[in-house]
Amino acid sequence: MNFNEFQNRARLYVIGALEPEELEEFENARTKFGKKGEEFITKCYALHEAFALSLRPAKASSAIKERLMAMVKAKQQA
Amino acid sequence: MKAIQAGDPDALSQLYDRYNGILKALILRVIHNEAEADDLLQEIFMEIWNQAKNFSAQKGKPLGWMVTLARRRAIDGLRKKQAYARAEERLQNEIEQQPDAWVHNATEEEIVLSDTRSLIRKVIKGLPPPQQQAIDLAFFRGMSQREIAAKTNTPLGTVKTRLELGLKKIYDGLKELRDEL
Repeated sequence: MNFNEFQNRARLYVIGALEPEELEEFENARTKFGKKGEEFITKCYALHEAFALSLRPAKASSAIKERLMAMVKAKQQA
Repeated sequence: MKAIQAGDPDALSQLYDRYNGILKALILRVIHNEAEADDLLQEIFMEIWNQAKNFSAQKGKPLGWMVTLARRRAIDGLRKKQAYARAEERLQNEIEQQPDAWVHNATEEEIVLSDTRSLIRKVIKGLPPPQQQAIDLAFFRGMSQREIAAKTNTPLGTVKTRLELGLKKIYDGLKELRDEL
């Protein structure tokens, strides 16, 4: 697998869309490309942010934050 | 994130205020149920609090880490509850009522990150519909290439090509934005 193919696979990898047989091949290439490959994979995770940001924000119930903060404080006191 | 890692609840409160809308939209997109999305959102922020020590700024920005975590939890939740059929029906209704469901209009409240958001929407909207659909099913539904092929009656190789081309276009479109994300 050359680096161009690795890049294509990496973008599929970060969204979990590689098939099992492709995953094994990708992991081998990942080892082969080392730091350069890891840096590219890290950059690909920006796709996650992009997809999330493409959606209109949804308002959560106000009770959620209150429950969350109560749980956090209870955990700290435990 | 450093303050959260240090155990400061006020920092979590600020993080929640800033990002709850983005994360809830993502969860809703996956599970299509308001009450379940709220419950999951709370669980995810609790996980963010508990797992903050595992966050590394060298591996990306906080939003990326949170979105990855939220997406995984939402897809897991969808599978655990075996709600595929129900969500499918809701999604189908949503698509019929709102053909351009993925691309929403910005509201006045969306000041923060609005430039980034509009550019991302423009990039996604510029993709051919089959590429949009393949990416949508893979990212928001957690479907494999084979599942997408079966659902869309499309050859597996075509699904792979659609995903690769679509993701590359989005990735390339994000290059200029990467520092802002």
